[in-house]
Amino acid sequence: MVKYRVEITKDDEIRYISHLDYAALMQRAICRAHLPAAYSEGFNPHMKIAFASALAVGVTSDAEYMDMELSEPLDPSVIAERLAPQLPAGVRLKRLKAVEGKHAALMAEVDQAVYSVEVPLQGNAEDAAKAVDAFNAAPEVVYHRVTPKKTREIEVKQYMQGKAALHVAEQSVHLLLHIRITSSGSIKPGEILALLCHNFGLPVQESLAVIHRQALLSKGKTPMELI
Amino acid sequence: MVRLTPDILQAVAKPARYTGQEWNAVHKEHAAMKCTFALSMPDVYEVGMSNLGIKILYEVLNQREDTVAERVYTPWIDMEAEMRTRHLPLFSLESFTEIAAFDFLGFSLQYEMIYTNVLNMLDLAGIPLRTAERGEDMPFVIGGGPCVYNTEPVAEFFDLFVIGEGEEVLSELADAFIAWKEQGRNGGRRGFLRRAAAIAGVYVPSFYQAEYAEDGSFLQWQPLEKEARPLIYKRVIQDMDAVRFTENPVVPYIDIVHNRIMLELFRGCTRGCRFCQAGIAYRPVRERSEEKLRALARQLVDNTGYDEMSLTSLSSADYSHLGELVDQLLADFREEKVSFSLPSLRIDSFSIELAHKMQQVRKSGLTFAPEAGTQRLRDVINKGVTEENLLEAVSAAYRQGWKAVKLYFMMGLPTETDEDIIGIAELAKKVVDRYTAIKGRRGVKVNISVSCFVPKAFTPFQWFGQNSLAEFERKQQLLKAHIRDRSIQFSYHDARVSLLEGALARGDRRLGAVIYEAWKAGAKFDGWTDQFRYEAWTQAFEKCRIDPAFYSERERPLTEPLPWEHTTPGVSREFLLREYQKALQASLTGDCRRSACNACGICPNLGVKIVDWGQANG
Ligand code: SF4
Repeated sequence: MVKYRVEITKDDEIRYISHLDYAALMQRAICRAHLPAAYSEGFNPHMKIAFASALAVGVTSDAEYMDMELSEPLDPSVIAERLAPQLPAGVRLKRLKAVEGKHAALMAEVDQAVYSVEVPLQGNAEDAAKAVDAFNAAPEVVYHRVTPKKTREIEVKQYMQGKAALHVAEQSVHLLLHIRITSSGSIKPGEILALLCHNFGLPVQESLAVIHRQALLSKGKTPMELI
Repeated sequence: MVRLTPDILQAVAKPARYTGQEWNAVHKEHAAMKCTFALSMPDVYEVGMSNLGIKILYEVLNQREDTVAERVYTPWIDMEAEMRTRHLPLFSLESFTEIAAFDFLGFSLQYEMIYTNVLNMLDLAGIPLRTAERGEDMPFVIGGGPCVYNTEPVAEFFDLFVIGEGEEVLSELADAFIAWKEQGRNGGRRGFLRRAAAIAGVYVPSFYQAEYAEDGSFLQWQPLEKEARPLIYKRVIQDMDAVRFTENPVVPYIDIVHNRIMLELFRGCTRGCRFCQAGIAYRPVRERSEEKLRALARQLVDNTGYDEMSLTSLSSADYSHLGELVDQLLADFREEKVSFSLPSLRIDSFSIELAHKMQQVRKSGLTFAPEAGTQRLRDVINKGVTEENLLEAVSAAYRQGWKAVKLYFMMGLPTETDEDIIGIAELAKKVVDRYTAIKGRRGVKVNISVSCFVPKAFTPFQWFGQNSLAEFERKQQLLKAHIRDRSIQFSYHDARVSLLEGALARGDRRLGAVIYEAWKAGAKFDGWTDQFRYEAWTQAFEKCRIDPAFYSERERPLTEPLPWEHTTPGVSREFLLREYQKALQASLTGDCRRSACNACGICPNLGVKIVDWGQANG
């Protein structure tokens, strides 16, 4: 059994598919590429692939990571050559490496995600700056996460790695957010945007926001550098 | 080109229904095309994408260098609201082109309860609903699929219908369209429709006018153009190995109803169940060869990456060499972990063995359709299954480890008595008891699902009066009262929907106004239980002063001309009459596939023959 790690994207074309659907499309791409995928034992064998932190629906990403096991060793360049043309619109293969030695599961290793948010300004730049400053200065900010079953109160500042960075260009607001991923949970970039709009008066057209994951890190390194 | 901004897509459920770009979707430059098709099954993406017919026609048309076919499905309620408030027209999934800009818009009509969706989609596209109101720049609206064996209730909304299998006809229509266009659109819309009407299998409803008798029943057709042929026979593909099948089906990004490869083993079913329209509509039986199927299976797995394949047909277990085929497929795809399933199981132990072998397991549930509760009634409908067959089949299943059985029945069949209804409960009880006898303990779940019988055109029961609402509901309660075993779960259909379906299935052109009024009153997605709006329909019937019972509940005299007989699958009226008489006497008719021809008329009328690889001569 040989393990490989791939760095892939989730682009605009598939912005709205779920994490489960994303996993399924990768599985089909691996089949089409005729890679000797390894399967679990048992009655209902499933392909041995695993992903890093799930991406919220509607968010694009340049930093998706998947570990896959093959039943025989193949040169990474050969795998990449076979896999790349089988990826559907919305997924690009950026890097592929063999995983050497023992490593924790991808999911357990990552501790930080970097997001950019781009959203049309609806007001003036000073108000935008004030809103973001106030958010950064606040010792605690509580988000009410509503699910069909219950509402949960989440203190979000504990998940912020440094300050939210603001940049206003022309009529659009750009935010850069470094968000911690912990074993006890995390916060979604869309939730921070909602707080900024509703609790701090960020003057933007929230419904037109475009959110993008730029990086996923483990102690400052990308998952590709860990192996 | 329609642009979908994030605020729209964030506001609706499952936005990927509307964003296209799937694997194997075909993108062509429209400017370089001579003919453009928008293909639709008028239901939500997950249902529409599961339709095999549209998949096939999409590839057949896109194979042509001068033609492009794109897909469009019905926007769900939330998306429709967004589109209407923003004045966004209906668009295609490949190029986001406005549907009104296509040359053709084809709808696959799979069941009657989808008609209001057709109207709604035309409206969203900005296409006038009635053919008479469509301008020169509008697409030609085509209807196809099983509902074409009575097109009349929706005739005024369609420019033309394709009767039967569409692989050849659609391409012939494209040829006719290109010729018409290159000759300066000679004669305008009507000029093209005349050319179309000359193609075998094409029906142009506006070339016919209906005449009615004084009692309100249909009398005859008055042709309005010389191209209006008195009979339009369905088209049939004789050689299933030669015709294009889907080789590169579009693979959706999101889960759909049938999210797997569909390998069509054969067309047609000749078991001769008398309630079944498909059994007549798709005759005769034509099989693909094993070699062809294996080659197709290989191509489909390679081109899609799916690890699940359904061996589809009307009754797949009847494929002549099914055992061998399954063995070969299992061997071919062992390494790739492809699993196989049969959508319908015959009631016998051969099918159980096969299901077991295919590991179609998860041992969760097994479905059989005895259709009626007593032997007498099963003989009436020519369902050649005995109680013993069923008990043997479930016994085999129990021995293989199955713990749940689902049984399909109908109520409201001709000659049915209360005894037959109670018979359903008794049969279900025997199925439960058989488990206890074999396993020595209880623990089986038997689910019985009972639908309300809807008589359909071109079946031996096309004259039969459907049960009334009160009668259906009485029978449902009667059955409920006779189910005492807690292992049996009973579910039944909304009889109001079945009666509406019954009126539409055997209606005539006068129902066009009712469908229009129902749509205006908000009816859409009528096949979805949570969307069905009964009042919209009752009001529509009242407004049009039409009694639905005239179409659904009225037993037609055998001499009455029927308004659907001109778009025919080729079956002879004599055969249907003969079968109806035999039904009333509970007398059986055999399967013509491997024994004598029953003279239904289809083979000689259409000039085709059975293809069965189990026969020496094929
Ligand atoms: S004509 Fe005869 S052989 Fe052909 S489908 Fe009808 S009954 Fe069967």
